[in-house]
Amino acid sequence: MTQTSPMFTAYLLLLAALGPQVSADGLVNEDVKRTVDLSTHLAKITAEIVLSNQGNSAVHSFILAVEEGLAPHLAYIGASVKGDEEEDGTLELQQTTIQGQSGEFYKVQLPSSLAAGAQLKTKVEMTFSHVLKPFPTHITQAERQLVIFQGDHYFYSPYPTRTQTTRVRLASKTAESYTKLGNPSKTDEIIEYGPFRDIAPFSKDTMKIHYENNTPFLTISSITRTIEVSHWGNIAVEETIDLRHTGAVLKGPFSRYDYQRQSDSGISSIKSFKTILPASAQDVYYRDEIGNISTSHLQVLDDSVEVEVRPRFPLFGGWKTHYIIGYNLPSYEYLYMLGDQYALKMRLVDHVYDDQVIDEMTVKIILPEGARNIHVDTPYKISRMPNQLHYTYLDTFGRPVLVATKNNLVEQHIQDFVVHYNFNKILMLQEPLLVVGAFYILFFTVIIYVRLDFAITKDPAAEVRMKVASITEQVLTLVNKRLGLYRHMDEVVNRYKQSRDTGALNSGRKTLEADHRTLTNEISSLQARLKAEGSDLADKVGEVQKLDGQVKELVCRSCQEAERLVAGKVKKEAYIESEKNLTSKRQELVGRIDSLLDAL
Amino acid sequence: MVTAGLIHYVLNLLHITVHIRDVCVFLAPVFSGLTSISTFLLTRELWNQGAGLLAACFIAIVPGYISRSVAGSFDNEGIAIFALQFTYYLWVCLKPSSSHSASLSVRSAVSAWGGYVFIINLIPLHVFVLLLMQRFSRRVYIGVFVLLQVYAFLQYLKDRLTRQEFQTLFFLGVSLAAGVVFLSVIYLTYTAMLRSTFQSSLRYQSTSPPPGCPSSLIFTSSTSMMNVSLAGKVRKHVSEQEKAEEGLGPNIKSIVTMLMLMLLMMFAVHCTWVTSNAYSSPSVVLASYNHDGSRNILDDFREAYYWLRQNTDEHARVMSWWDYGYQIAGMANRTTLVDNNTWNNSHIALVGKAMSSNETAAYEIMRSLDVDYVLIIFGGVIGYSGDDINKFLWMVRIAEGEHPRDIRESDYFTPQGEFRVDKAGSPTLLNCLMYKMSYYRFGEMQLDFRTPPGFDRTRNAEIGNKDIKLKHLEEAFTSEHWLVRIYKVKKLENRDRVEHKLRSTDTNRQKYTSKKVPTSIPAHRCFGHFSQTYTQNHTFLLERVIFFCLQTRQTVDRREENESDTHSSTISSSKKKEEKKERKGEKNPPIEIE
Repeated sequence: MTQTSPMFTAYLLLLAALGPQVSADGLVNEDVKRTVDLSTHLAKITAEIVLSNQGNSAVHSFILAVEEGLAPHLAYIGASVKGDEEEDGTLELQQTTIQGQSGEFYKVQLPSSLAAGAQLKTKVEMTFSHVLKPFPTHITQAERQLVIFQGDHYFYSPYPTRTQTTRVRLASKTAESYTKLGNPSKTDEIIEYGPFRDIAPFSKDTMKIHYENNTPFLTISSITRTIEVSHWGNIAVEETIDLRHTGAVLKGPFSRYDYQRQSDSGISSIKSFKTILPASAQDVYYRDEIGNISTSHLQVLDDSVEVEVRPRFPLFGGWKTHYIIGYNLPSYEYLYMLGDQYALKMRLVDHVYDDQVIDEMTVKIILPEGARNIHVDTPYKISRMPNQLHYTYLDTFGRPVLVATKNNLVEQHIQDFVVHYNFNKILMLQEPLLVVGAFYILFFTVIIYVRLDFAITKDPAAEVRMKVASITEQVLTLVNKRLGLYRHMDEVVNRYKQSRDTGALNSGRKTLEADHRTLTNEISSLQARLKAEGSDLADKVGEVQKLDGQVKELVCRSCQEAERLVAGKVKKEAYIESEKNLTSKRQELVGRIDSLLDAL
Repeated sequence: MVTAGLIHYVLNLLHITVHIRDVCVFLAPVFSGLTSISTFLLTRELWNQGAGLLAACFIAIVPGYISRSVAGSFDNEGIAIFALQFTYYLWVCLKPSSSHSASLSVRSAVSAWGGYVFIINLIPLHVFVLLLMQRFSRRVYIGVFVLLQVYAFLQYLKDRLTRQEFQTLFFLGVSLAAGVVFLSVIYLTYTAMLRSTFQSSLRYQSTSPPPGCPSSLIFTSSTSMMNVSLAGKVRKHVSEQEKAEEGLGPNIKSIVTMLMLMLLMMFAVHCTWVTSNAYSSPSVVLASYNHDGSRNILDDFREAYYWLRQNTDEHARVMSWWDYGYQIAGMANRTTLVDNNTWNNSHIALVGKAMSSNETAAYEIMRSLDVDYVLIIFGGVIGYSGDDINKFLWMVRIAEGEHPRDIRESDYFTPQGEFRVDKAGSPTLLNCLMYKMSYYRFGEMQLDFRTPPGFDRTRNAEIGNKDIKLKHLEEAFTSEHWLVRIYKVKKLENRDRVEHKLRSTDTNRQKYTSKKVPTSIPAHRCFGHFSQTYTQNHTFLLERVIFFCLQTRQTVDRREENESDTHSSTISSSKKKEEKKERKGEKNPPIEIE
């Protein structure tokens, strides 16, 4: 310690030498109009600054300062150049430090350099969360909520300020006390300080305002926003939210009677609020661990979907609740594609309620399985966690999950992020193929199981029975085929009667003979096999064979009759008579064969 | 539970991300479907396909089984009956007397492996009978041999290993088997549990189904639908044969089939309706209908339970009547004193006694039970008849059963023997804790213009005690329609609030006396273990303790006697002493209107 201290002092001295240099770049706050908006549970400070360069050289940047007391609560800071006609371009900020001075400092890059002697109008916006401290910290249900704001009368700046005014907007007319520097004027909910003139750089003077503020002191202590992208056309968004009333804590009993009967009872409590969802949001759900929360209302507007989120119970100071809100979005509105390159452009954080404060946010983006070369563009700095894997239906190697966290967010953080990634479209087929494959395996197993015999012991009787069954099956088909031959022959005969083409008839008869022979032989061999198995069915088949011979004969006879008719050897009437006779005989035989077959 | 866990585990292993809750909800219906299939198989083995089909239809509409296989009923029986049927089927397959070519294939091997516990009860008996009947065969030998070998091996392991090791080994084996045949293992892992439920399952089988509504769950009926479609196939087969014999026209057959299908479809619709009304009507959410048909939802129960869950200490203990125990445990995630499965009657009686005593006596009980919150159901605003005042007589009766000296049911009735909450009601009732908590600040509330303030809609009476003041309790939460009221039990105060006027002293002299404070310290030092960092209030209390010890020794002794009678035996005597010490700080024991 003793060794380092000389070094340290030297360092300080060096800094002291450098310190003035900062303001020595010649910038002066010509005129500062500051508005401190304390009408909600946030402190929003906007300042319109006329900067003038009174140095010798052009300036490219200037420095914004945040006083020490407020700096840890700074949620958002932004600066823009105020043009004559329109509010143009926001400026880029970069945090720096000025040694020897407390507070936080931001270096603002100017769009164009400010020449010596020139002036520039800029506008600075800052939002602070949790700077309005309830005092008293505990109130009863009947009491109103009073809060204290501690800020600075002067615009904290590394540059000297020529003139400055401060206008403070309160939430109500009632102010318990406020610091009276420069004899401020108060009309209704506005307190005007100043103008103050010629303020040295880094001047401080505590401004303390104690006033009534019954606006909802609602804080999202943690939110987890999960965005699940599906390439089948859907983006599912789910937000898990922990809410807390961070105003003055409720002391003593909560009386439902007073709350219902007196309009100003529990005036600082929160009954409900509105959440604005994207216009294309569908299938909105609002629930918690124990089910659907039935007290909400959904309103579909042209450009948005409004959910009136009403917690199960009114939130008093110190009370908290927890809920889940989720919805689906069509992916064509947010997912862009070029070849196999994809870009997802969505809000990093979305609206939960007006003037929202988020203490802790976790964003999880679940990309489709197989997404590669993932690259994220965020609108502001956000700390990335290592990627995770998420498994859901039919996933095999997991979906990549991008995880990012950020603390202390306000409404200004509702901005878009872009995720770029590559995705091979063939992978879209993976899941359907997986299902197909699974079913294939299932059916295949069943086929194998049914076809093969897994029995340990053999049952000869059953085997014989099965064998016989298969043979009879074959017999059946063959017999049917044979009967089919006869029908075919009938057709040939009929055709012959019309065309009188003897050649066709003869060839038809030949094929019949040939086919009939092969079929009959086959059946005979099957009959022999049946006999070998010792089945009594062989006899029946023999009977069928016998009957079939008769049928065959009848067919031949009808064929001959037809020939004789064509040749003119028989009269038509006689032919018809005999034909009838033959047909009825045949039918009887076929019927007997059928009944035999049925018995098989 | 093992089955559900296993199914959930396997499904998640396959990345089918089903919630364990959904698995539990659908377990019973799925298994009831499997039961009807296995019944079909069993009966087919025993008789024929037609009989199997009928048996499956019957099991699908048995009311006794239906009520155990509703979606959401998570119990052993749904699975046990399936396991029973399936085991019988497998055993019958194995049986030599069965003419069917039952195979000793993988199925029976697996059944022998895991089902040893269950089958060992029944099957050896059967084998024994078979032996007596001289119908022993090689198949029985193989089946039983494998079984007995496995059983003997496990017994051997059981002897050699510690219980823990054996269990892990057993589960290892079972999970190995799970790799072989998934479905069989569902049934197998269950058999351990089955053993205990075996008898009860048998009871359900043997007794005739209880007369209930002839309704079924859609799942069960859809299973029967499935069976019918299966039957369609079979019937086609059969009908071809019967064509010649019976000659039923195809028209009649199709009409009959259509009628059957219609009947079953209507049955399914009916089942859905009955199930939604009788079995799963959400009694936690109350719905009322307006004149225009729009629905009003009264979600007070969940409102209050969720408030408890979110805004009380994680370890807070809630006292309520036992009916709400499970709801508080499930939805509010808080500890309860008694719940729906409390078998200890003295516990319930103690809660009943606290509810039916006056506030001071109740406070003592609540202090001794470490109660942080008291939850009651009050239906007086919306006319909900199932509230605690209507159940109150049961609390009194149960309390009287255990503490007949302190609580008497007759005290809560009017001399005419009526139970009334209005002015004519008994003063004991009008001053008991339950009455006070139910009607706290209700006396100011005017519900509509036709009725006076404090008009109870459930009991249609103007309440008798409108000016209720709570001393030891504080209203912590009341739901939107006052259905649930939660009170916080205040901690003992360091010093009692004095109800009479403070004694005025000369402020000038007070300054001098403050200098004398050091002189009082030696008095405290006699209690060596008390540190001096105690606040003034504590020293004040301490002084009182000493004062009480000296002055009112007799009264204290008497009280002690009383208390050892009234207090439940669950409170340890040391705890009692502690409390007494604290209570001695009470200067004026509050007087209640008795």
